[in-house]
Amino acid sequence: MVIAPAPRSAAGRTRRRAGWIWFALPSLVLVVLFFLVPFVLNLPFAFSSWSGYSNDIRFTGFANWILLWRSGTLSNAIIITLVYAIIAMVIQNVVALSLANALRETTRANAFFRSLFFLPVLISPLAAGYIWRAIVAPNGVLNDAIGVFVPGFDLAWLGDPVAALVTVAFVDAWKWSGIATLVYIAGLNSIPASLLEAAEIDGASPSQRFWRIVFPLLAPAFTFNVVTTLIGALSAYDIIASTTSGGPGVSTQTLNVAVQQQFGQSYFGTASTLSLTVTILVVLIALPLVAWLRRREIA
Amino acid sequence: MIRLRRVLKYTAISLFAVPWILIPFWLLVVNSFKSPAEAADLSLALPEQWALMENYAAVFTKGHYLVGLRNSALVAVPTIVVVLLLGAMAAWGYARSTRRSFQVFFYITSLSILLPPAVIPTLFLLSTLHLDGSIAGYALMMMGTRMGLIVFLTTGFVRSIPVELEEAAAIDGAHRLRIFVSVMLPLLRPTLFVGGVLLVIQVWNDFFFALLLLKTSANATLPLTLFSFASASTTTLNWNLVFAHVIMTSLPLIVVYLVAQRRVLAGLTEGGVKG
Repeated sequence: MVIAPAPRSAAGRTRRRAGWIWFALPSLVLVVLFFLVPFVLNLPFAFSSWSGYSNDIRFTGFANWILLWRSGTLSNAIIITLVYAIIAMVIQNVVALSLANALRETTRANAFFRSLFFLPVLISPLAAGYIWRAIVAPNGVLNDAIGVFVPGFDLAWLGDPVAALVTVAFVDAWKWSGIATLVYIAGLNSIPASLLEAAEIDGASPSQRFWRIVFPLLAPAFTFNVVTTLIGALSAYDIIASTTSGGPGVSTQTLNVAVQQQFGQSYFGTASTLSLTVTILVVLIALPLVAWLRRREIA
Repeated sequence: MIRLRRVLKYTAISLFAVPWILIPFWLLVVNSFKSPAEAADLSLALPEQWALMENYAAVFTKGHYLVGLRNSALVAVPTIVVVLLLGAMAAWGYARSTRRSFQVFFYITSLSILLPPAVIPTLFLLSTLHLDGSIAGYALMMMGTRMGLIVFLTTGFVRSIPVELEEAAAIDGAHRLRIFVSVMLPLLRPTLFVGGVLLVIQVWNDFFFALLLLKTSANATLPLTLFSFASASTTTLNWNLVFAHVIMTSLPLIVVYLVAQRRVLAGLTEGGVKG
């Protein structure tokens, strides 16, 4: 019986190089076909007159953009989306960072609370919207609680333009802060305890220790959470669908709410224009933010 | 002193948990047991008249719960299996091969984590493939757009594993597919578990893309059945029914979580996201 020698050196290396394509290809086909192709097509569609009322799709230049701009939809949706994203990001990171600080050590009690505060992550954003719509209802629990201190308080939280936007952004933060908390706990636990002990011996106060040592060393987790929460919130739709549907008026009409409304009227071209705007916002915000926050990490 | 500080700390955390967790979930559960008139008060009180059976029966009949559950499973199970398996295979290739083209593929795939899916052209593409409105089309879109998360997480992990293990198996004559199945997959299990958790949460709860891509009520996933059930009454919501449906829709994930919570939390805190 002849046993072929295992290929060595040069031959072995070429074998190591060959054949990988069959491992990458299936995944790549799915990504190219269902992510990349639609992503590239979004550009021509945003400048086209595709609608459910006609079979031909025609290139119409900036007509969609002008139409959406003149009607006020575009600028309003951009502003609402940005404000929503910033409020959601700030609340989420403040809550998550505080919780992570409190629940940092791995003890039984902390494990229980971590598990508890993770629950909203499992609920769909749509469902979270319904729950909070009930809490902030004029006759709901929130107004009852405030009514103890301010008799007769009955603000319609989702009926007031400003309060409605803050409320829906808050629900977004409520739903997602469980994940951000875990990311911060991981970041906190990667900070060497010896550094903090040394600072304590040198007489640094707890707040000094946090802002001078912990916070700078937490930079990777901070970058990750700020970027992911902002990007996620730029695509806000579900929570608004189950609470305000974009109202009162257009005061919670984010870009994706506007996409859905154009889509619902079979205006696919303008829907693409609005959807492309979300992408542009993500690129304009996320890329510089990642670059800037990363620089802070190294420094 | 230290004792007192701990008592104060846990008192503060518990006080925060009351409005943040306890009240929302109690309100949800207790009102799902009430009659429509009682639930309209949206109070935290126990029901005077229990309407548990009626409410939950309505979720199954008028709420089309089983249709939604079946469709959600038909989307989530294949999506998660395919993305984890194909994503891990690709990640292994991206981490180990030195080809320039593979770096490009890796970046394109990873971009899908940052950039939102283009939903309108997806619709166009699916109708060209005669898959518009179908569960298969929606699942394919989910696979293509969630692949990046798994590929990114897994590639980073594979790069941190020494290559000697695979080389040893190769010298022993093992075929590459064999090495993947018996050497790589076991090593990747913790990473794929974390990725799988994040995937399930995203896929099971998606509403926006389901709303645009799934047309008929026969193909509706759970979030869609919840939404149409809640929107059925135009004037005010029937809170008892909406809440019963919310509970039933969230239940599959919560049950899984309660069983696997220790691994979920440990996985997400330890092996999750690193720069």
